[in-house]
Amino acid sequence: MSEIKVHSSEYRPPPPDRPPSGTRSPGVWVRQNLFNTWYNSLFTLILVPAIGYVVYRAIRFVLVTARWEIVEVNLTNLMVGTFPRSELWRPWAAVAILALVIGLGLGVTARANVEAARIRGIELTTSWQQNARRAAPALLLVAALVTFVRTATPLILLAATVVLAVAGYLVGRRIPPHRRRWMHLAVITGLLGSYVVVTQFDGVSLDRWGGLMLTVFLAIGGIAMAFPVGVLIALGRRSTLPAIRLVSVVYIELIRGMPLIALLFMGWLILPFMLPVGFPTPGRTWRVVIILLLFTAAYVAEIVRGGLQSIPRGQYEAAQALGLPPWKTMRLIILPQALRNVIPAMVGQFISLFKDTSLVLIVGLTDLLAVARRVTQQPEFLGQGLHAETLLFVSFIYWVGSYWMSRESQRLETRLGLGER
Amino acid sequence: MNEDDAMTEPDTSTSLTQDARRAGGTGEEMIRCERVQKWFGDFQALRDIDLVVGRQEVVVVCGPSGSGKSTLIRCVNRLEKHDGGRIVVDGIELSDDIRNIQEVRREVGMVFQQFNLFPHLTILENVTLAPRQVRRVPKAEAEQHGMELLERVKIPEQAHKYPAQLSGGQQQRVAIARALAMKPKVMLFDEPTSALDPEMIKEVLDAMVQLAESGMTMIVVTHEMGFARAVADRIVFMADGQIVEVGTPTHFFTNPQEERTKLFLSQIL
Repeated sequence: MSEIKVHSSEYRPPPPDRPPSGTRSPGVWVRQNLFNTWYNSLFTLILVPAIGYVVYRAIRFVLVTARWEIVEVNLTNLMVGTFPRSELWRPWAAVAILALVIGLGLGVTARANVEAARIRGIELTTSWQQNARRAAPALLLVAALVTFVRTATPLILLAATVVLAVAGYLVGRRIPPHRRRWMHLAVITGLLGSYVVVTQFDGVSLDRWGGLMLTVFLAIGGIAMAFPVGVLIALGRRSTLPAIRLVSVVYIELIRGMPLIALLFMGWLILPFMLPVGFPTPGRTWRVVIILLLFTAAYVAEIVRGGLQSIPRGQYEAAQALGLPPWKTMRLIILPQALRNVIPAMVGQFISLFKDTSLVLIVGLTDLLAVARRVTQQPEFLGQGLHAETLLFVSFIYWVGSYWMSRESQRLETRLGLGER
Repeated sequence: MNEDDAMTEPDTSTSLTQDARRAGGTGEEMIRCERVQKWFGDFQALRDIDLVVGRQEVVVVCGPSGSGKSTLIRCVNRLEKHDGGRIVVDGIELSDDIRNIQEVRREVGMVFQQFNLFPHLTILENVTLAPRQVRRVPKAEAEQHGMELLERVKIPEQAHKYPAQLSGGQQQRVAIARALAMKPKVMLFDEPTSALDPEMIKEVLDAMVQLAESGMTMIVVTHEMGFARAVADRIVFMADGQIVEVGTPTHFFTNPQEERTKLFLSQIL
């Protein structure tokens, strides 16, 4: 009876019980999950050999049967297409600039995340496994490229690029949070700078770009411009001014009602004649970028509109009651929350755009996929049926890009939403 | 004293002001509503609302749900547009002129039933946002004032957390501090304790009592009759979009004139 304390003055909650231990041996797991009913056992017995066979054939093709020399010989073609070989230092310089600003951006964001988590009282531990998993797609790509490279120079330059990215990251981690806004400026300057370094100062015009370089340019250019345009159109659709609302609605419905390929042909064939007389016609590649941007912006606008609708009325009212003018309410209160809510859909649209850039081959641009189709027509490989090798290689590059975007969006979502709601 | 009597007179302004003066304000007039009408579609939410609130007066508005209480105070800072009559706040008449509306909103703070804090900003950022963006107060000054306000509502230690990390009562006190940060002349409360767990109601009411004692002009829509009895200078009873009866707490609770008021009181007390 000694446990019963009558004179306890302060209430103390009882100590928590431990949750039941959930560890099971692998044997138990297999029995409970793969052989728990007769039909499940049947599925397991059929599917395991089938999957095993497919995986075996795939691995055997990649490691034994495939004649990767078509990729080895044409690696430069796949990367830059018909870009003049004497000017290759320009794309390398652009890659170096991009590596630096991306590293910088990642560093600054990492630090900001740690600070935000500290405020919210959450311990943000990043294990090396998580970091490895995050870097895995990029590492896979680098590994594939290294395997196919035959000379030493690209390897040295690649290593230097990686070093620059790491350096940018470490510098980014040292930037205090209140200087963070400069990071956005640095990233935009980096993007513009990488374009300028290739095209300006006796550089190479956009129409001679090709391969992965062109694909990345179309994707980044399209995404970077479609995002702000899409947000503006979404705001236009909700505008109180009927004229702006009408223009936005017509634009969205018109663009969404047309196939991308039709739009690409229009940009190629019709756009030059629709421009006012004396107006310089943009180059072929720029016209494609404009079409991709206009196409994606319509979808981004609808995604953002969904995000705007997910914000409760109370948020507008609270901002109004404080006397915030409408555009500040939008910029400081509504958009930050609305855009966070639509990250998954938005990134889905960007992944879609990244892969849709491969459609430009029908208007004569030699992007990554177009190069992959063409190299099989080279005299030394003609008629040897090496389609699988080249298609597998470019598909792998598309997959790395898409998977990377998907993973980063998931990270962004969880980090931005830490402790909220 | 009785609103119906006031409405039968051709000129209501003098008697309304006298009402406000008798009841406890300084006699200066802060808010004037004259024959305010409001429709939602075919439904008339407010009809012929006449009310004057004096400076430093605390007016509690009560009544059954759907009686137009919230609509009335939402018209005062133009979250709802009134369809007829006049509303004048601190000498500024609410019209379609957006500058007038902004000016009124700067002078009128509001606290909502659902708190409506900005979930993506920290507590201190919630409090300093409006002064910095609307009044252009420098950051350091805004944060110092913000911390003083958070101390006044007794949660300075939460300043760098996010709203979702706080209890309902704490969030509502932040909402009060956020409204006060604009140094308003009037505070509107729209059922500030209705969404709270019972054990958190007192901390919010305490903050409101303290505010009333500091001389703030307040219009409070609430069902907390204890608060009304203790703090209100006048109680306005509304039903079906009309003001049925206006009176001091003593008068209202002990000697209601109208049948509708008696029925309401018999159900809630």
